[in-house]
Amino acid sequence: MKDFMKDSIKGLKRKGVDYADLRRVESQSQKIGVKNGEVEGITSSQNAGFGIRVLKDGSWGFSSSAVISEEEIERVASEALRIAAASASVNKEKSQLSEEKPWVDTYQSSCLEDPFEVPLEEKTELLLQAVEAMRGKKIKVAEGILLFDREQKLFLNTEGAETEQVITQSGGGIVATAFDGQQVQRRSYPNSGGDFATKGYEFVRGLQLVENAERVKEEAIALLSAPEYPGGETDIIIGGSQLALQVHESCGHPTELDRVLGTEISYAGGSFLSLDKLHKFQYGSPLVNITADATLEGGLGTFGYDDEGVKAQRSFLIRNGLFVGYLTSRETALILGQRSNGAMRADGWNRIPLIRMTNINLEPGEWSLEDLIADTKEGIYLDTNKSWSIDDQRLNFQFGTEIGWEIKRGKKVRILKNPVYTGITPQFWRSCDAICNREFWHIWGVPNCGKGEPSQIMRVAHGTSPARFKKVKVGGQR
Amino acid sequence: MIERERVFEILQGVLTTSGADQTEAIFIGNQKGLTRFANNSIHQNVAERDTSVIFRVALGKRVGVATANSLNKGRLIDTLKEAVKIAKHQVENPHFSSLPSAQEYKRLETFFEETADFTPEERAERVGRIIKMVEDKGLQVAGALSTSSGEIAVLNSFGVAAYQPLSAATLRIVVSSADSSGYADSLCRDIGELDVDERTEVAIKRCLESKGPRDLKPGRYDVLLEPPAVGELIEWMSMIGFGAKSLQEETSFLSDRLGERIVSEKVTIYDDGNDPSGIAMPFDFEGIPKQRVYFIDKGVAQGVVYDSETANREGKTSTGHALPPTSHSGPMPLNVFFAPGDEGEEEMLNSMRRGILVTRFHYVNGLLNTREALFTGMTRDGTFFVEDGKVKYPIENLRFTESMLKALSNVEMVSRERKAINAWWEAVGAAVVPSLLIKDFNFSGKTSGQ
Repeated sequence: MKDFMKDSIKGLKRKGVDYADLRRVESQSQKIGVKNGEVEGITSSQNAGFGIRVLKDGSWGFSSSAVISEEEIERVASEALRIAAASASVNKEKSQLSEEKPWVDTYQSSCLEDPFEVPLEEKTELLLQAVEAMRGKKIKVAEGILLFDREQKLFLNTEGAETEQVITQSGGGIVATAFDGQQVQRRSYPNSGGDFATKGYEFVRGLQLVENAERVKEEAIALLSAPEYPGGETDIIIGGSQLALQVHESCGHPTELDRVLGTEISYAGGSFLSLDKLHKFQYGSPLVNITADATLEGGLGTFGYDDEGVKAQRSFLIRNGLFVGYLTSRETALILGQRSNGAMRADGWNRIPLIRMTNINLEPGEWSLEDLIADTKEGIYLDTNKSWSIDDQRLNFQFGTEIGWEIKRGKKVRILKNPVYTGITPQFWRSCDAICNREFWHIWGVPNCGKGEPSQIMRVAHGTSPARFKKVKVGGQR
Repeated sequence: MIERERVFEILQGVLTTSGADQTEAIFIGNQKGLTRFANNSIHQNVAERDTSVIFRVALGKRVGVATANSLNKGRLIDTLKEAVKIAKHQVENPHFSSLPSAQEYKRLETFFEETADFTPEERAERVGRIIKMVEDKGLQVAGALSTSSGEIAVLNSFGVAAYQPLSAATLRIVVSSADSSGYADSLCRDIGELDVDERTEVAIKRCLESKGPRDLKPGRYDVLLEPPAVGELIEWMSMIGFGAKSLQEETSFLSDRLGERIVSEKVTIYDDGNDPSGIAMPFDFEGIPKQRVYFIDKGVAQGVVYDSETANREGKTSTGHALPPTSHSGPMPLNVFFAPGDEGEEEMLNSMRRGILVTRFHYVNGLLNTREALFTGMTRDGTFFVEDGKVKYPIENLRFTESMLKALSNVEMVSRERKAINAWWEAVGAAVVPSLLIKDFNFSGKTSGQ
């Protein structure tokens, strides 16, 4: 079938397309959910199909199908051409692509222990043990989840690119929900929704879910009787997992060049990072360095080649606080006179690639967490995301976390419940005065980043270590 | 479209090979075309054909689920075998009782050939018209026009044989100027009902009215929420509080409040999959007919929706609101209606002394405190200051942070007119909601400075 697909791409070239690519994607996944000592569900999924994207006369068309046959490939190729012609009937401007080497290569993500070969009983038992350790008085719900996914992808284009990739992803997490008859409080580990990586089952073993279950339970119960922060401006130290969400929403999304150019405005929104700000806008304090790095081993946003065939790479988005780069595609990079930095990713065979985050990281600083807390006279340590909201230009955000610890005279003195902090993106990042070092740096996998119409879910990641921000507005929940 | 007889034939052919005590097959077929535009140009234009089959099997009380997106008989048999293999390795689920037996469904017209057969050229022609209308005003437009057809079938070894063909057309338009934007949308099963010109005019008008927004200090204001804003709030309420799982786990804002008056008596919210004035769908993903379920009736908390498992936990029967068994989210209402009031939208605006008109919200989040239904979100695409019954001037976007129990307690007026609002589950349901006039709505912040 691969040869027929190659012939199909050649056929499109003969028909005079500006550009065309074909992606065949086959995936398998497994989801295991355990709740209150019972297995909530085990699901095994298989999915396969292909999509053909065509640029003809400067306009795009895309068609896709789950039926992988020669006849269907021909039909889909014709339909993609027909759709491109329909687009061209309306468009005055013509899309073009930046130069790219036609890579011919294979890539396989690191996977020491194949998660699909680990017996189902063993995986289920791990969750049952972790959940059992969280159960008890005041714990209404103790639950855990494990997810495994493997995607095999073939990419061909009219420029001669031919890449094949196999990417395995593993991860999971546990949650304890405490209830005292009136209020509910929740603690998650290692992050709300879990933590995920392009690794095998060794990543799940390393999570130490059972070992952390008791602490998770105790913190959930402690939150029931904890006070709320009365509200006001204070210094905050944001823990790694919450900072990952902060980077995601207020650095990752606004640097997506398609948002900046207005092509996502009707759904996910735009970005305040207009083109005139490139290399001129002070995004954060000089300590703030944000990179896009699809080459990080194990990151959930790690791959060999993006879905336009561009090789994975590392680039700076913010350097020493200055805004220096966008996440780009071949089409948008050309507008800046650049080449793509490899951020075009599609959620499966039936979706076109969009500019998506890869691994978007806050580079580590120099502090130890102990020293940073000791250096904080008054403030709050906030961790684990609970709620998230940001405006359509990615400026005004409000994030809630599961837990806070009040810091007084350099010590964490008590737990605070329902903390919420709010700010304006660049003002917030300019207030960053300390970032913890690589010892505290972790790549947090975020498996559920939504964007696009039809909707697409992307797996991305953020390397972060705890960092301190000055005079941030923190409330209870109002 | 594969059509009922062929779908049943394929699934029956596989079900007969099952060695499980109980077997269920869910078929979901989908053909969709979507034309996306921005900067007065079509920048994405896509089509897809997909079919997926989900098998759920039970060996006693041990349940396994496997899915594949193929109609190849060999692959389907392998997938069914995988479900059986999972069940064999499962522990017993004490709350699984049985798959349902044969049911009868209301006949609903949910499929329109004109929508299913709508071509890329026809979508481009409509989008071209939208662009022309907007360009003529010197403005920019972005949005998406989609047309889709689909089939959902549920078969099981106890005689359930449900099939429903579906079609849907959706339109979303954001018209922008340098400092303003306006929004309009539409969702219908029959593309013939979609008035592209009228929707475009609404978005253009709102964009022009929004030019030159002024700052307004956050605080408590009376607010007139238009249907897209109300729809997003109701969608979040459905997710966090109208399903049995959230009630059983004590996270719902209805927990411990059933039978109590919790909001204004002007508020009645229910789910009805059989009401063709919404985006109707007569059965759920277990093949159980959808019942009308009241969540709030004249301000009093009434109940939640159930699937078989959550119903069995309470010794009740399912209300017909199961999601596919690949989901662990529990039952969900997908066809929510907010009962209409007596007032016209114009009348509601005229009655406001001092307040804010909100076209729609952006990035609402309802997870701050689910038992209080505490939500936050931003306004977008047309927010206005209203004084003495008239729109005075547009304002910059504001953030709200408010308990929906409090907001719905402060409902002063509910409009007669209602609208079906797009949700992510567009082909199988929508929220049908009015405009609401709410007193003392809490705006907690605004966007200022970079």
